[in-house]
Amino acid sequence: MTETHFASIESDGVKVSAARDGSRLDVRMSGTVEARDPGVVLDAYWIGLDQAVRREGVREVALDLAALDYMNSSGLLTLVRWITRVKSDPQYQITIRHDPNLTWQKTNVPVLAKLAPAVVRVATP
Amino acid sequence: MRDAALLDNYLELRLEPRWPYIACVRKFIAGFFLIGLSDKERAEQISMAASELLENAIKYASEDDTRLRLEIKRRGNEIIMKVENPADPPQINILRREFALINAGDPEEIYLRRMEEAAKIGGQSRLGLIRIRFEAGARLELITREREVEISAIFAIEEAP
Repeated sequence: MTETHFASIESDGVKVSAARDGSRLDVRMSGTVEARDPGVVLDAYWIGLDQAVRREGVREVALDLAALDYMNSSGLLTLVRWITRVKSDPQYQITIRHDPNLTWQKTNVPVLAKLAPAVVRVATP
Repeated sequence: MRDAALLDNYLELRLEPRWPYIACVRKFIAGFFLIGLSDKERAEQISMAASELLENAIKYASEDDTRLRLEIKRRGNEIIMKVENPADPPQINILRREFALINAGDPEEIYLRRMEEAAKIGGQSRLGLIRIRFEAGARLELITREREVEISAIFAIEEAP
């Protein structure tokens, strides 16, 4: 059986890495997202990841934001678009791990979960 | 303990509308208010607001060769942050409609609704202003002049005991 390589990227101050652990895919973001149009890189990344996850039958994506110091609203929109895509055809769960000591995460992560309560779960820090 | 003298100081920045400056200003303001307020959360909220307001100003400013002005001052138990930039009349009309929408209800509900709407369409997020209202609990005010807009984010601060 061929193991899928889940892409990692590094662009404009943000690094996203992905590693499979059984039926779960661990995705870790670090740095900051404050490019003028982060969707150019991140929308494409989330679309590719979504397709690979569905193809490979991954049941859960664990998104770890704890090392992401800041994300602008355009960056948040890339997560909103990904979550909306999963919500429209839910084949896997998204678990978001975050650092509640970072104000932007403490306030935004629960809102992201409310976008798709059946799909997104907020992990207890 | 909060350093009241720092808070009473007037902060004014004039800068070219260059994107890389935004992160510098955000970090500077976060540090400035972390010292002034001894409140990391409030400092991060205020610096986030500065970043989002400057992003808007740069994206929607009408002239590339203009300068932006960011002013922060204290009035009683409030911190007032103003960003001024030139804007074309169509952009001013869009901002007026935007303000009517984001000030018309519960900030979290509006933020969620705007996220859902923004996910359906391409282009800019238009989430910045409602994010400031929701995440920082700030009051937002818009003043328009001929070919210029001034947006203020007003933050309540607690007096030190």
